[in-house]
Amino acid sequence: MISLFEIFLSFIKIGLFAFGGAYAVIPLIEEEMVNTTAWMSFKEFSDLVAIDELTPGPIIVNSSTFIGMKLAGIPGAIVATLSCVVPGCIIALILIYLYKKYKEIPVISETIKVLKCMSVALIFSVLLKMFMNVVFNSETLSLTNINYFTIILMIICFYLLKKYKTNPLFIMLVCGLINLLISFIL
Amino acid sequence: MLKRIWLLFINTFTISLTANSGYAMLGVIKNRFVDKYGWFSKEEMEDYIALAQSCPGPIACSSSMIIGYQSCGVLGALASVLGVIIPPFIMMIIVTFFYTFISTNQYVRIFINGMQIGVCAMLLDVVLGLFSGVVKFNKLFYYVIVLLSFLYVRLTDYSIFFLALICILIAVIKSLLIKKEVDNRL
Repeated sequence: MISLFEIFLSFIKIGLFAFGGAYAVIPLIEEEMVNTTAWMSFKEFSDLVAIDELTPGPIIVNSSTFIGMKLAGIPGAIVATLSCVVPGCIIALILIYLYKKYKEIPVISETIKVLKCMSVALIFSVLLKMFMNVVFNSETLSLTNINYFTIILMIICFYLLKKYKTNPLFIMLVCGLINLLISFIL
Repeated sequence: MLKRIWLLFINTFTISLTANSGYAMLGVIKNRFVDKYGWFSKEEMEDYIALAQSCPGPIACSSSMIIGYQSCGVLGALASVLGVIIPPFIMMIIVTFFYTFISTNQYVRIFINGMQIGVCAMLLDVVLGLFSGVVKFNKLFYYVIVLLSFLYVRLTDYSIFFLALICILIAVIKSLLIKKEVDNRL
């Protein structure tokens, strides 16, 4: 049995260094779980990644709960989830406190501006990855397997979001259903 | 106040229950709290997204923590983080018992792939919003930062932590240089 303290140490490490969202963090969790601690086999880990994408919620929370549960039951799940979420939350609180208090100071407002530029790049790169997956079913460009239906649906969704501020949750669910229907018809 | 905290909790809870990754949640958070409730301006929200991206851990947690803190202080922050964590936590504990069904069922996969189409449209909306903020700065310097950050993310495997650090450093140096220039002119 792996002790809760070991789980805590491992996940606090992930929580502290997990910058840049799930896509950047999955390799980090893999390194920690498969190579460093050998708590999971590679096969188990790739199953986990598939489940993460299929279940709702932030991917990092999903995986830490799942791994914690597998290692030490519900107490393990609680320890793993909290220790990977709390460091980020504390840092977020510190940043927002500084922002609130000092945002008029040139150094801070300049920093926010530059970080904004960085976040455009980060989100755009995630978008690009997802777009390639959805439209081409792969990470490479090829004209033969463009999914035109997907592009049209995406444009409609974008229009609805932009023009009517439709609830994105509703849009996501409808997209899922439409995709399911199409797969039955074709 | 109590009503706001409740709204924070129930909104982050439903968002986390539906959206399947942190980046998907960003779009919904913006839609709810900027477009529907009008608690924050678009510009404020963009600042928060930039800050959230500079924190480690799930982006959904840091961003909801920040909007929670900005609207209701520490209690609000706690309420919205709990809202984000509880649904995937419970879900994953249940999932551990029949995860082979979920990860092999093709209809679940098709449904989720469809949802991704909506997520792409939503992320496009978020990116364009953020980018229009960068355009408003109206300086070549910021476009260069966007481009360089994008190249960093796509072409290297280094952590986003270093990117954030470099960005902060650049911002500090730049504002110090500007200050010097102003001093010299005086």
